[in-house]
Amino acid sequence: MNAWNTFAAELRKTATLPAAWSGVAVALLGSAAITLLNAISIRAALAAGRPETRAFTSPFEAAFAAMPLGTIGAVVIGVTIFSSEYTANSTDAGGGRQITTALAASPRRVGLLAAKAATIVVFVAVIAAVTLPVSAGIARAVIGEAGTETVTLGEAVTRCLGGTLYWTLTGLIAFAITVLARSGIIPLIVLIVNSSLVSFSLLLTKLTPLAHWLPDMAGRRLFDGLSTVEGGLDAVPGALVMGGWTLGLLIVATVVFRRRDA
Amino acid sequence: MSTVRLGNVTMAELGKLRTLPATTLTVIGAILSGIVITVVLTAAAADQGARASAIGITLQAVPFAQAWFVLLGVLPATHEYAGRQFRTSLTSVPDRGLLVTGKTVAALLVVAASAAVGIGTSLAAATITRHLTDAPPAAHDGGPWPLAGAAACLTLIGLLSHAVALLVRHLVPALAGTLSLVLIVSPVLGGLTEHARWLPDRAVARLYADTDAVLTPGTGALVALGWIVLIGSVAIARFSRRDA
Repeated sequence: MNAWNTFAAELRKTATLPAAWSGVAVALLGSAAITLLNAISIRAALAAGRPETRAFTSPFEAAFAAMPLGTIGAVVIGVTIFSSEYTANSTDAGGGRQITTALAASPRRVGLLAAKAATIVVFVAVIAAVTLPVSAGIARAVIGEAGTETVTLGEAVTRCLGGTLYWTLTGLIAFAITVLARSGIIPLIVLIVNSSLVSFSLLLTKLTPLAHWLPDMAGRRLFDGLSTVEGGLDAVPGALVMGGWTLGLLIVATVVFRRRDA
Repeated sequence: MSTVRLGNVTMAELGKLRTLPATTLTVIGAILSGIVITVVLTAAAADQGARASAIGITLQAVPFAQAWFVLLGVLPATHEYAGRQFRTSLTSVPDRGLLVTGKTVAALLVVAASAAVGIGTSLAAATITRHLTDAPPAAHDGGPWPLAGAAACLTLIGLLSHAVALLVRHLVPALAGTLSLVLIVSPVLGGLTEHARWLPDRAVARLYADTDAVLTPGTGALVALGWIVLIGSVAIARFSRRDA
């Protein structure tokens, strides 16, 4: 199979994987629901004449506050695209794993991983392209003209692109860890915990400033406006550091995957 | 459903969990990460000269421990579906009600024991680190009862995950769903609306942090139990009726 066919096959496999669609649903419906609640509560505060009880009244900020759910969606896709290959079939059907078929069909292992990584990028980009405008639209429709939009269109586009980059890199890191571990448990726990308020990386920054160079801490300025912790890297160097981690983990995963038994 | 048979089934389920490497690793991980986190928090507090007691630090570490107990609660139900084991279990214990009861009791025992040991070792680690770092004398800490509340809270979080896992059967959706609820959705909703206090993980947190205007530790635990019973009954009803 040539590279394009491998990619098309992976895209199709992922599109028929229920778990991948649950990742899409978490990102899309979860963000929409959180945005709706946020927007309704902002509208209520504005109607009561107490806008100061809210951190912001901007519709875009209301939609952007739901960004962590997109990270979860990306993690779920990055994990299941590979962990699904290792799920054993029913013993009545031979108890085989899909990975053996995948490798029989495309024996070039590097090409297979590259196709899967490209599939993750496509999925996350499509999710972002749908989720962010839908959420922003919901917030605008609910809050309407009452709120003060503090974010210009240019800033909004930059921040959406930054957030999409963060989602993509996190999805790829989840993928690389899953390749290494051949199981979804470790990346799911590590990455969901680190997207939350009780992040281990965040805790480590209390011990040593070096923790600001961990991938999730380095990249968090990509969510400009959501950052709550002082210090650390700025958006562009942070994105480069996070990209470096992603690339490094993908290379390690590729080397390991090339050399070990399926 | 005689008690002798329930005892046997529970022992069998406990044996399965004991020989499952993932459970052992999770329990060890929960205990070790509790120690590491309390040491980090104590050292950070000492650095800033904050007046934090060992009990206070241990309670601060509880939210970090939740993820381990979610995993521990998910494993007993989902590992059986990874291969053919579930059919073997049904062959040996055809009474599905008995099987699910034994499984739940075993999960409860493992989660509760791990929570108690985890809180205990975290407290010990915090106490030792405070002595080593010459931390300033502690503020009043509200006595040992919140610690028992924290252990109960982690146990209930584990039980909630067990109920979710019984319902959805597969590891990845159960783990991702419960973790997202506890760690992402609930804090985000908590910042938006006061009604978020009725979510199971926020209600049960009242057991060790009695800071809510409406829910007390007792009613908070009852709300969480209500969620567990609700999800658990749907799960058990499905478990009893569907194909293996």
